Amino acid sequence: MTPRPSVEATRRPANAEEALVVKSRAEGLSFYYGAVRALKDLNIEIREKRVTALIGPSGCGKTTFLRCFNRMHDLTPGTRYEGRIILFPDSIDLVDKGVDPIEVRMRIGMVFQKPNPFPKSIFENVAYGLRVRGLRSKPRVEEEVERALRRAAIWDEVKDRLDSSGLSLSGGQQQRLCIARALATNPEILLFDEPTSALDPIATARIEELIAELRDQVTVIIVTHNMQQAARVSDYTAFMYLGELIEFDNTSKLFTNPSQKATEDYITGRYG
Amino acid sequence: MSEPNEGHTFKAYDGALSDLRLRAHAMGLLVAEQVETAVRALLESDREAAEGVLARERQINAYQTEIEAESFRLLAQRAPVASDLRMVLAISRAVTDLERAGDESKKIARFALASAGRMSGGPSRVMHRSLRHMAELASEAMRVAVDALDRGDARVAHDVARLDRELDQEFETALRQLMTVAMERTRLLRPIFDTVFALKSLERIGDHAKNVAEHVVFLVSGADVRHAGRDLPARGSQH
Repeated sequence: MTPRPSVEATRRPANAEEALVVKSRAEGLSFYYGAVRALKDLNIEIREKRVTALIGPSGCGKTTFLRCFNRMHDLTPGTRYEGRIILFPDSIDLVDKGVDPIEVRMRIGMVFQKPNPFPKSIFENVAYGLRVRGLRSKPRVEEEVERALRRAAIWDEVKDRLDSSGLSLSGGQQQRLCIARALATNPEILLFDEPTSALDPIATARIEELIAELRDQVTVIIVTHNMQQAARVSDYTAFMYLGELIEFDNTSKLFTNPSQKATEDYITGRYG
Repeated sequence: MSEPNEGHTFKAYDGALSDLRLRAHAMGLLVAEQVETAVRALLESDREAAEGVLARERQINAYQTEIEAESFRLLAQRAPVASDLRMVLAISRAVTDLERAGDESKKIARFALASAGRMSGGPSRVMHRSLRHMAELASEAMRVAVDALDRGDARVAHDVARLDRELDQEFETALRQLMTVAMERTRLLRPIFDTVFALKSLERIGDHAKNVAEHVVFLVSGADVRHAGRDLPARGSQH
């Protein structure tokens, strides 16, 4: 088994003063599915090159919130945003109608619950996004594909079969391939929507390990139902309930001494 | 999701936490009783009481082993968080202090047995008042701390800290008096030594009671006040 990095390598001191840069900020964000207000006036800052976990019971709005960041809702008719999600440093409003969702998705990648590689070769799965970005030079594409596969910690497993179908890989490998695909375009934020819910514990540990490695390179927002996973991989945790942000804090603080009773009840399993 | 209720969704988890707390309380009551009995044995040269303390010491050790094993199992199986995690940790830590306070009672009981066996009389004749006073303070500190642990009440932590301070002062005073006696009446050296050890044990019991109170503060508020100086913060309330 691959040795895990030391605690020092994966955890920052809980109370160390950090020069935190805000990568994105939701300001008075509400979201509507038709007449239903699924998100209610969210205000939250996402710190750069940190992992932020969104937790809460089913229907609390965490996935809805996550999907706002790369305009996934634009594909659903009858939806509407209120408020803003500012992306720094250029201060663009991600949910502004004037901002091109394709451009947003280039800068903000997403990895879904179920691995969804294209029915193409492993190489093409990763190269696709690069070509969409306009990269044509074959050696450059090869270089970037290798780089992305290495960053996603799957290069050693696939380097001898880059022409095999992405669908021939195991579930965990497929998910890491999807992460490589998302990383290929050098996104500034990577969104994970319950990325390990379909995986076994070993494959889950590999993804978590990968997220721990990525935290120094990219800002991560992860939705998870597994609270221990949130506790393990994230620096900050937001607890949501009924479309509202109930509590947002350092993960270590939130899981040892939450300020809100609703958070305490949820994370300790006291909801009937 | 339905409205929050009093207990965990998984009822067996509630049962395990409640059982842990009850056992820690039973252990604490037994330790407080051991302190009182050991000092009575010493003051009244009561061999039977002293032997009873030594016999019950095994029960305290058994409690410690059981409670720590149960805490370990809970951590492994339930991965407790927030107040549940603090409770398991606080009880685990408190049990160590309770066991050590039990050990101190055992030491006092041994002095009681040794002095009861000597024809010259026990140390109680030399330092009766100090022993009795320190015994009262130590027992009270232990009882208050154990009660606070059971109820999750951090407010009384202050009372325990005050009792511990009194114990420390009383110990210093008694030590000075005993030194004077020792210099004047060298034939009493042995009972004086016994008394000093017994007083020291009582002073240590006060420290352990204060530690238990600090674990209660942690349980309730999450604050670690173990090295925060003599005064405990008035944070937290009834749990």
